[in-house]
Amino acid sequence: MTWQTWLFLPVFFGAMGYSLLQIRRLGKLMKASTGKTRVMDEMGARVRETLINVLGQKAVLRDKKAGIMHATIFWGFLIITLGTLEQFVSTLVEGANFEFLGSSIYQALVFFQDFFTVAVLLAVGYAFYVRLVVRPERLGKSKDALKILAFTGGLMVSILLMNAFHLAGTQPWFASAMIFSNLLSGLAPSDPSICMAGYTFFKWIHMILVLGFAMYIPHSKHLHVLAAGPNTFFKTLTVEKGMQKIDFEDETLTQYGAAKVTDLSWKDTLDTFACTECGRCQDLCPAWNTQKPLSPKAIISDLKKNLLRNQAAILSGKIEDVTPVIDDNVTEDVIWACTSCRACEVACPVFIEQTDKIYAIRRNLVLMESRFPAEVQNVFKNMENNATPWAFSASDRANWSQGLSIPTIQANPNAEVLLWVGCAGSYDDRNKKVVTAFASLLKKAGVSFAILGNEEKCTGDPARRIGNEYLFQTLAKSNIETLNRHQIKTIVTSCPHCFNTLKNEYPDFGGKYQVFHHSQYLVRLMNTGRLKPAKNFDETVTYHDSCYLGRWNSVYEQPRSLISAIPSAHFVEMTQNREKGMCCGAGGGRMWMEEKIGKSINIVRTEQAIATKATVVASACPFCMTMLTDGVKAKDLQSKMKVMDVAEILDQSIS
Amino acid sequence: MAKVLILAEQRDGKLKKTSFELIQFCAKSGHETHVALLGDGVAGLANELGAQGAKVVHLAEAPELAMYTAEAYCKVLVELAKSLSPGFFFAAHTPTGREAMALVAQELEAGYASDCTSLQFQGDNLTARRPLYAGKAIAEVEFLGTGTRVLTVRANALGASAATAQTPQVQKLSVNLAGLKTKGLSVVKGATARPDVTEAAIVISGGRSLKSADGFKILEELADTVGAAVGASRAAVDAGFRPHRDQVGQTGKVVSPSLYIACGISGAIQHLAGMRTSKCIVAINTDPEAPIFQVADYGVVADLFQLVPALTQEFKKLKEH
Amino acid sequence: MNIYVCVKQVPDTETKIKILPDKSGIDLSGVKWILSPYDEFAIEEALRLKEKNAGSTVTVVSVGPERAKEAIRTALAMGADNGILVDAPEGADGALAAKAAAGAIKKEPQVDIIFTGKEAIDDGAAQFSQFLAKNLNYPCVTVVLGIEYGPGKVQCRREVEGGAVEMVEATLPAVLAAQKGLNEPRYASLPNIMKAKKKEIKTYSQADVGVSASDQKVRLKNFELPPPKQAGKKIAGDIATQAKELARLLREEAKVI
Repeated sequence: MTWQTWLFLPVFFGAMGYSLLQIRRLGKLMKASTGKTRVMDEMGARVRETLINVLGQKAVLRDKKAGIMHATIFWGFLIITLGTLEQFVSTLVEGANFEFLGSSIYQALVFFQDFFTVAVLLAVGYAFYVRLVVRPERLGKSKDALKILAFTGGLMVSILLMNAFHLAGTQPWFASAMIFSNLLSGLAPSDPSICMAGYTFFKWIHMILVLGFAMYIPHSKHLHVLAAGPNTFFKTLTVEKGMQKIDFEDETLTQYGAAKVTDLSWKDTLDTFACTECGRCQDLCPAWNTQKPLSPKAIISDLKKNLLRNQAAILSGKIEDVTPVIDDNVTEDVIWACTSCRACEVACPVFIEQTDKIYAIRRNLVLMESRFPAEVQNVFKNMENNATPWAFSASDRANWSQGLSIPTIQANPNAEVLLWVGCAGSYDDRNKKVVTAFASLLKKAGVSFAILGNEEKCTGDPARRIGNEYLFQTLAKSNIETLNRHQIKTIVTSCPHCFNTLKNEYPDFGGKYQVFHHSQYLVRLMNTGRLKPAKNFDETVTYHDSCYLGRWNSVYEQPRSLISAIPSAHFVEMTQNREKGMCCGAGGGRMWMEEKIGKSINIVRTEQAIATKATVVASACPFCMTMLTDGVKAKDLQSKMKVMDVAEILDQSIS
Repeated sequence: MAKVLILAEQRDGKLKKTSFELIQFCAKSGHETHVALLGDGVAGLANELGAQGAKVVHLAEAPELAMYTAEAYCKVLVELAKSLSPGFFFAAHTPTGREAMALVAQELEAGYASDCTSLQFQGDNLTARRPLYAGKAIAEVEFLGTGTRVLTVRANALGASAATAQTPQVQKLSVNLAGLKTKGLSVVKGATARPDVTEAAIVISGGRSLKSADGFKILEELADTVGAAVGASRAAVDAGFRPHRDQVGQTGKVVSPSLYIACGISGAIQHLAGMRTSKCIVAINTDPEAPIFQVADYGVVADLFQLVPALTQEFKKLKEH
Repeated sequence: MNIYVCVKQVPDTETKIKILPDKSGIDLSGVKWILSPYDEFAIEEALRLKEKNAGSTVTVVSVGPERAKEAIRTALAMGADNGILVDAPEGADGALAAKAAAGAIKKEPQVDIIFTGKEAIDDGAAQFSQFLAKNLNYPCVTVVLGIEYGPGKVQCRREVEGGAVEMVEATLPAVLAAQKGLNEPRYASLPNIMKAKKKEIKTYSQADVGVSASDQKVRLKNFELPPPKQAGKKIAGDIATQAKELARLLREEAKVI
């Protein structure tokens, strides 16, 4: 036992003990988050996802430059840690090492450790360059980040120096495998005792840096090294997801939604620990990019700050002293600015679900505090009294179909498929034309279909997105009762919001149907030869991805297939498309709210469409159609650019 | 034939035309037409009432009557009605009439029919019809008892009839208005004479095609000829032409006036949701395919910058009649 | 303060109107029943007054059949404390309803102020508040846009024609009939909606409050639909012709100017 052992023990246990206490504290904060999570099942799939994304760095590598930089540091960290472990062991027990692994394995180990030490150092250098010279907006200013990079860089430098002195002082058998340290050792003085002193000195510098880093991590965003893995393991397994339901029958529930940060779930809290503030979410947020105060990165960070600000109260069990989640940072404007486009969730390399928290907060604002934009009250009243968010009569719902020989389910109970019209198709003049075109296509294809007619009610999507879960459930249950009564099995709809709600959210309430979006259904009909586009469409067409079709349900290709199948239609892609497509601005219930801050989202998206020089902007959603049409009008380009639904484009190509 | 009693309204010493068509109607039907005139220093107005067909003007003057209050009017009118025992007691369904006459009816324990839109006399039988469910149904009012029948009539419902002018007999009423629980304090005129979009009887709205805040001046001129409110579509408000409080639509105000004139508004669903229950909709737009024409009762495919000023002239001519 | 609000349950504005074969009224089957919208301003005003005066209660009174309890529950969900229903048949007129409501209110220990809507949207008769006031011998102010509360009295802003307002002072207790714009009615929070579902609503029969069918003064009959809305007319011609014809139609045919 040397003096090093005696020094190492208290230093090591002191530092690690401190770190573990911090982690236990964070664990208690997670436990105090009492909101409900989704069911955590399918362990096999979870393990697979974690291996691919954590070990394989798949999600991180979506951004090539940053991805390679991070993967280098991460994989380097993994292998260098083995070296650090060896160090600790050898300090504890003099002469102990990992050479028992065998010559080839050990040489490979030290080779990679050495290689990665330099690679990580270069990556850190690159990271400093990006943060201090390039300064992209998404990173913001972060002293925390600079400290982390300094720690990491310092660790690598100390390892290199330590190794260089070690190799110079002892000339071990595996020296040549450590290429860079070996090279560096050439600069060391020849006196072995000086070299060993140098080795010991830098070894201790390294160990103190490691232990210091371990103590710093729980207080910094570098906490992600501990939280990201579990966060990936516990993520929602599919991109497709519905919002979680509240069980109003549960009499023990007194709080609906999140009034305080402790009303969120442990998974939400874990999300805030896993965030590295990389800003990929912020870069794609349509609200942030049009000067609204909402940044998905900031809201996660602000929720964590709220949690930590209140930790004394939380840990002593005084939840009543916890301050509200709405504060100077997470303002009401921030919460209402969200369009639920989920670009943030799809971009996040550690699978944080930002929207879950925003909508939990909305639920509290609406259900508990009746605090929401004034114009929304009418929307609720209309849905309560007339089963549609617009002020129209429920008994006029089927008027659009008059004279079109479209059977109701009562008249055609054995129909192959139910055409779910939706409120826009029923009441909005422009969208009536879209549903009419789709119905015409179904007829041309010889599909036996029917509509619910006046029995159809709004799916409740606007209510749920705005936060009125109770109103949503009232409508959902009524629709499900109707659908089940008519024994509906298959539904097709031209509205992605209806599509998403019927497919991903109705099952929670006993409504399980096979649901198609009209673009999917039309592609099927084309592929089976029942629809053959024939007439030319001499236009340059670009396609705007609907968020509820694309990011919410991964339907990107079918609308494009429809357009590409039209003879002489020339397709051009917008710069921001598919997962990176910019929202039209109408989601998240924002169709029903005034946009008072910043530039209008729909104008920005329209500008992106105009930049493609297309003559037709195609969409597959009634809200997108409304937003883009308004955008084209605002730019006074109605004569140069048409907005059409993919069904309309297909219909006019088939006699 | 039974006597009829009609409440004439005056404000600031000027008679309001709302009672004229009632007086004309009753006089023409052959009933002895009495008119109640309340105020302070309004005696001079009696002859004007005679010119419309009033046989007797019952004049009640007192400082407490200078400004209308329901309680004061009710007290005077009840006393008059008790002494006169008219078969019918009419007033126009104005802010004054709709408030006071209900109190009068209750005090007289009389049957009361308000906001009637059609009256038909057959001797002493009166068929009164009134709208229900915002005008979606019309029903006849059956009075179950005997005694004076109290009715208010919607303005402009009867239309003008030729007046059987005469010099009226003026009977001064003695007025005792002690112990009232209500007091009229003042009348505050609106900042503009223009009413708010929400409860105005006529609303004239403009869209983005007005091109600027100045562009709305022609709508304001048109509005002023008929005392209408000026509304705006969301596009016009977003462009800064009009303030948000004038915005008609899903996220603005929902209005249901008797007349809605949409100038240069295409009629997208967000706007329609805010005005489609208007009784009469006029659309002025250069695009014959604009959705607004689907809901309009009268459509004019024209350039609003030309049509609106022409319409203003036409309205002015009508006002003179 | 003991605050009272009288409310009425009416068919929703979007109800499709079908006349009964005997023309005695409209077909009420399938009607969506709601709280009459102007009553919401009355309830909101009552709640705000309660919030400003600690220890106050808001009691909601309605006259109608059993289904009217739902309208009372809507008011309770907004925050009212108690509900009273006085039973009355379909087709009861304002005179009977007001006497019934007055009878129920007279049984209450103390009344400081009563709010109503300026009219119910089903019949638009605009008489209930005045009839009620007379039954109770209280002053009445209708079409109220604003209220300032003082000791034992109120000053009301009352809407009249041409965008003007009358300032009227009345002693309390009084009946005040709310106009749109008096306030912004709150949206009921879910916990309040759930509590309201379980609240007990006191019920009186007509006999309990001293009214009978003979208190009815008018009855509606011979219901008809208005002349059908004609398809929109497009007015042709040059500008001068169009303007003249439009003005003429508006005056003579539509009778709106």
